[in-house]
Amino acid sequence: MAKKDLDMVSSGRRERKGVGQVILLICLIIYTLFCALPVILVFVSAFADDMSITQNGFSYFPDKWSMNGMNAVLKYGKQLFTSYGVTILVTVVGTLLGLLVMSMYAYAISRPGFKLSRFLSIYLIIPMLFQGGTLSAYIIFTNAYGLKDSLWLLILPLCVSTMNVIILRTFIANSIPAELMEAAKIDGAGDYRTFFQITLPLMKPSLAAVGFMMATAYWNDWQNAYLYISSDNKKPLQMLLIKIQKSIEFLLNNNNVPASVRAAMGNSIPEYSATMATVIVVIGPIMVAYPFFQKYFIKGLTVGSVKG
Amino acid sequence: MAKVEGYGGAEHSFWKNMVKHRAHIVLALPAFLIMFFILYVPMVGLVVAFKNYTYSGGIFGSEWVGLDNFKFLIASKNTFITMTKNTVFYYLVFTSIGTFLNIVLAIAIDQCVFKKSAKTMQTIMIIPVFISYAAVTFIVDAYINGSLGLINRVFGSSTRFYSEPSYWPIILTIVKIWNSVGYGSVLYMSVLAGIDTGLYEAAQIDGANKWKQIWHITLPELFPMITVMLLLSVGGIMKSDTGLFYQVTRNSGQLYQTTQVIDSYVLNQITRNSNFGYTSAATLFQSVVGLLMMLVSNGIVRKLAPENALF
Repeated sequence: MAKKDLDMVSSGRRERKGVGQVILLICLIIYTLFCALPVILVFVSAFADDMSITQNGFSYFPDKWSMNGMNAVLKYGKQLFTSYGVTILVTVVGTLLGLLVMSMYAYAISRPGFKLSRFLSIYLIIPMLFQGGTLSAYIIFTNAYGLKDSLWLLILPLCVSTMNVIILRTFIANSIPAELMEAAKIDGAGDYRTFFQITLPLMKPSLAAVGFMMATAYWNDWQNAYLYISSDNKKPLQMLLIKIQKSIEFLLNNNNVPASVRAAMGNSIPEYSATMATVIVVIGPIMVAYPFFQKYFIKGLTVGSVKG
Repeated sequence: MAKVEGYGGAEHSFWKNMVKHRAHIVLALPAFLIMFFILYVPMVGLVVAFKNYTYSGGIFGSEWVGLDNFKFLIASKNTFITMTKNTVFYYLVFTSIGTFLNIVLAIAIDQCVFKKSAKTMQTIMIIPVFISYAAVTFIVDAYINGSLGLINRVFGSSTRFYSEPSYWPIILTIVKIWNSVGYGSVLYMSVLAGIDTGLYEAAQIDGANKWKQIWHITLPELFPMITVMLLLSVGGIMKSDTGLFYQVTRNSGQLYQTTQVIDSYVLNQITRNSNFGYTSAATLFQSVVGLLMMLVSNGIVRKLAPENALF
């Protein structure tokens, strides 16, 4: 890829603007295809006939199309439904909670004259420099807090992050006129009212940007579920994918699984098109939601990072 | 006397300040507590590195063993050195290639006059970052599966990628680029969007062509953001995108030689319930190196461009 992009840079060098632009466009199209083709393969495979995959391998042009893969997703029925519920719950609660507490913190540390704000800023930065790491967190959460198999372990670890607070703080400092807050105070609004009725609504672009990034992180988080969640009714969507992966591996590594075991595994024997259909079900919502958020998401980052 | 009085006055005004700002203390409290319990308390958990950890003993009940865990760590040369080497190697490759491509892509999209198409393409390029590694695993498999994979089908080969460590540095780099370059360029694009167009116009009048403009205007404007992003990343030199190394490789033991990084090793040790003391020693090493790198790089930036330093 590096080479391709280099070509893109050098090719337009002595050419007139028109030709250079066309070459640039072609290079961008090639890179776009590089990004899109793997995703397209998922969709094609999900709607391909499973027999044509097992016989001819994965292909962009399967011999036969079929809806069986999509129908087979329903066989995960109850678990899929539960997992969807868990993922949506964790994503919504985590994102809203995180946005609320982080914007409150960002607001507090950017108040002029507040003598704790320096201490709170340092307190915020330290975890970026030094972390306990996955193992320590695991030991503390399970042993010291006695939390295990709890949805809080999916919500709290991703809830507050230094970077996101910094983005929010930068936004408050650069894009919300301090005079507004002062004016509110002169008009007799208390500190809480100033924050919730003046500042918070004005933070919308940065909240949308940070919120979307958080929601994605929650939606895609597999590691916390993998470490802490054991009961099926608390497993998020990503765990469903890992479970399918595990059963494929089990079958691959055990070619001589007795027929009786296969029969016992019954309808959980994975099929390629069904697996890809499941992948679509898992990644679909984010891909649908993302274009709507893109405007906010890019704008939010813009306002948050460019000094005003 | 005057000193004492001044001190007393400062103390007095501090508490007065606290009372005046009590609402702000309350506002900061929830996030403060979450950070305390989720980020700060686990730092204490690192003492396990100096203990023979048992579940029943817990963190404080387990017996102290001094530096034994570290001795083991150094004695197990192969695992430790291999995973440290891999971690640093992938950090360097991903950061250098990633940053370079982020910038190239951002400038390319910015320069493109077909604004509408560029915008649509950018939307598509960002999509991969939103696909979880648990899902990416299946996509990668569709390409490199031994018998059914697209690559083997197209080239008529039958390479068994999942048991060939030598291919993985390339596979992982391609997956990482696919995953993160489109997204990474957004930040740089936001800086490009903020550049005063008057600068370009002035340069044009002075006869500078596109390349001179990019070299003398665009890159210098991007420089602060590049510094900050690199600086932020240096602290993570010992950390990795765990999903990439654990999920996409299917955690295949045959590939560890080129794919095992500290983070995936730790995850393995936890799920296999192995010796936590020993693993914790590896984690502590990871955290301390991260801290040192961060302090050094911030120090350098503070000398070169103080306004871009983190602290």
